[in-house]
Amino acid sequence: MKNRLKVLRAERDWTQADLAHELEVSRQTIIAIEKEKFDPSLPLAFKAARLFGLSIEDIFQDELPF
Amino acid sequence: MNRLINAITLKGLPARDIKNANLANLWIFAWAGTLAIISFLSKYDWYASVLPTTIGIVVHVGIGVGMMLAYKRLLKHLDEMERKIQLESMALSVGMTLVGFSTYSILDKAGFVPELKPAFLIMLMGFTYIGGLIIGRIRYR
Repeated sequence: MKNRLKVLRAERDWTQADLAHELEVSRQTIIAIEKEKFDPSLPLAFKAARLFGLSIEDIFQDELPF
Repeated sequence: MNRLINAITLKGLPARDIKNANLANLWIFAWAGTLAIISFLSKYDWYASVLPTTIGIVVHVGIGVGMMLAYKRLLKHLDEMERKIQLESMALSVGMTLVGFSTYSILDKAGFVPELKPAFLIMLMGFTYIGGLIIGRIRYR
């Protein structure tokens, strides 16, 4: 699953540690999500969406074609 | 190489998770210690009567339950990626132990290998679990 977490974080001048703190996960988890090695759960995706003031689809995009 | 060292040393995990992991490890060592002591004493007929046997079993089971609760606490507080790594490692460990045990049993019945000692199974579980953790942490980072 593709995501814009790194871009959104950079726009706000946040470090990975800042984002990890806000989302209550480890920095390693943020690194793995940004590198698209790990897909977050739905509750974590909602939390990220709330934090950035966006919808989940604005942050995470499914790679599979419809 | 750095990724391997980071995976082993739990680098990047919150201090609370490292504390819980260390606590669970202490319980695991205590449990393994009681198993080793009980096995050692049984060689010297320490458990010929009921009372010492009961004490040995109660202490071993009690520490075993403490170990499980400490591990449950660790899992409960981990974030979702580390929990996934832990669960995948446990699945690998259980799978490897089942396959290893069944294969060894066949070889044992065929007379190719000596009788299986329970300590081998515990070691197999431990090593595959640790191996799974290291592989998982390297893969997701």
